[in-house]
Amino acid sequence: MTLDDQSLRTGDIAVRCRGITKSYGMGDARVPALRGIDLDVKRGELLMLVGPSGCGKTTLISVVAGILDQDQGECLVMGCNFKQMSQSDKTRFRGQTIGFVFQSFNLLPTLTAAENVAVPLFINGIRRSRALRQAKEMLAEVGLGDRSRSLPNQLSGGQQQRVAIARALVHDPKLIVCDEPTSALDHETGHRVMETLQRVGVGNERALVIVTHDNRIFQFADRIAKMDDGRVIGMADSAEALHHETINASALAGAERMEDGGLRIEA
Amino acid sequence: MNFVALKMLVGDRAKYLGIIMGLTFASLLITQQAAIFVGLMGRTYGAISDMGLPDIWVMDSKVQFIDDIKPLQDTMLYRVRGVEGVQWAVPLYKGLLKARLDNGTFQTCNVMGLDDVTLVGGPPEMVTGKLEDLRRADSVIVDELGAAGKLAHTGANGKPVPLKIGDTLELNDHRATVVGLCKVSRTFQSQPVVYTTYGRATLFAPRERKLLSFVLAKGEPGLDPKEICRRIEAATAGADGSPRLAAYTQQGFIDKTWWYFFENTGIPINFAISVALGFVVGTAIAGQTFYSFTLENLKQFGALKAMGTPNGTLLRMILLQAMIVGVVGYGLGMGLACLSGWGARNSELAFVLPWQLMIGVGLAITLICFLSSLLSIWKVMKLEPAIVFKG
Repeated sequence: MTLDDQSLRTGDIAVRCRGITKSYGMGDARVPALRGIDLDVKRGELLMLVGPSGCGKTTLISVVAGILDQDQGECLVMGCNFKQMSQSDKTRFRGQTIGFVFQSFNLLPTLTAAENVAVPLFINGIRRSRALRQAKEMLAEVGLGDRSRSLPNQLSGGQQQRVAIARALVHDPKLIVCDEPTSALDHETGHRVMETLQRVGVGNERALVIVTHDNRIFQFADRIAKMDDGRVIGMADSAEALHHETINASALAGAERMEDGGLRIEA
Repeated sequence: MNFVALKMLVGDRAKYLGIIMGLTFASLLITQQAAIFVGLMGRTYGAISDMGLPDIWVMDSKVQFIDDIKPLQDTMLYRVRGVEGVQWAVPLYKGLLKARLDNGTFQTCNVMGLDDVTLVGGPPEMVTGKLEDLRRADSVIVDELGAAGKLAHTGANGKPVPLKIGDTLELNDHRATVVGLCKVSRTFQSQPVVYTTYGRATLFAPRERKLLSFVLAKGEPGLDPKEICRRIEAATAGADGSPRLAAYTQQGFIDKTWWYFFENTGIPINFAISVALGFVVGTAIAGQTFYSFTLENLKQFGALKAMGTPNGTLLRMILLQAMIVGVVGYGLGMGLACLSGWGARNSELAFVLPWQLMIGVGLAITLICFLSSLLSIWKVMKLEPAIVFKG
């Protein structure tokens, strides 16, 4: 059975990665970043990717988001295989299907909050007036209805991240990838941002993949995948992670080591 | 996304103004220097283009430009008149004579001696007086700028008093009375122009065996002036067939004079250096600022790319930004150049801005914008969207 057949059969899977490998550099300078990742993310699920710096989290979400090509393996997002897409198809797919929340917000400093939120709609060819109306509605959903005309530098870090969340959601994507969404924020603000993300992000069969170091937000996850040295070495639910403060080796008891050195964890 | 590109551009005021300034400077410098070049080169043939009536200029075959006078024998006038197809032909004296001013100094004047009977070759526009007044004794017509400037009397308070009708001049020890003031194209050397009759001009001029500078002729209606020129040259050739006279249409003589100055003086190279400098400096300032603007926005471009903006759209955004700064910079530079030209309209500054030059400068600014945006385009096209996940 091919991956495509499988994904068609398992319609509840938003992201399916099988045997993903990725290396940077060439020859002696070649550094493996992903060493055979198998991972499923269900629709309506909030999955966190955790692990030490350099373990491959960012590389993995870059592959999942279709902005980086893996060396080997297959990655299906909403049943679509990136490997079978041209660059322009992939770009269009990203614009329609994926929402992004970045660590440093990456808001355009010269656009107002509403205009920033409307950018994905502009990318998808929505007319400006309609896009701005939708953007204002989305800003209201994240509690910033009264700041739609503010520039990013007139907003606090937490507010900027909420604008970024609104931007990630405004075009109703099926997958949202977040890179360290709370690392630039204090604990309380980070908590509020995660509450917002959970409240407005999850639902409508949308999947969220969040890369984080911040164990204070593990409670928001449905599942947590721990990565180390380019592999997923463990999978736990948030309650378990909270119990252990962080996922430790004991949480990996059920992991099945694969022939290529990767770990397969049954979700 | 055009809206986003526009706001990205104008939102960063300092960079935006920096790029605009660079392009304005380039546009101003290129326009001004090129306009002065055009104006200066135009002055080289002003004496030819000012004459509306004759359409053929006949001269010694060795003459290279309008001020390169090689006098002809008076008999040549009759030989030209005898050529088939020539409707009429008149003599023209053109020479540099010294006028003694009332303060004892001398001023070289461009003296034009017109046919005594027809006065063909007179100034294009009279300001005061009439051309026919040249038939009065000792009469001359002076160009108004020369009359108000280099030929002006010195008043009691030491300030220059412009020449007026009735004032006298001393041309080469001959008394001359001003009977009119006229407007003429400024000459290349900015000397005052004095019109008189051919007979009187030859009296004013130092004694020489030959004094006929040019023969001005008109062809029969319906005949090609170029053909008449060929006939004149053939009819006046020596026994061995070598040319003794050269005949040109008015435009032909303008072109010959223009090219002489273009090829034999340092004017083109000097102005070309200024124009090139404007181009290079403009490109450097605009390019450097535009590139630094792109570098500062690289993460934003990366984010746009990650969020699904195609390369083609990003390319259009950058080109739109370049086009906007180009249009604004061109407009400001051209406006400033026009303003400076208008401000100096009564001075010695030669400033002529034909529409062809406006288009040329527009193309140069377009090229500058394109070159300036090339680096930015390359950087953004090569940009890996994964950059947005790197802290």
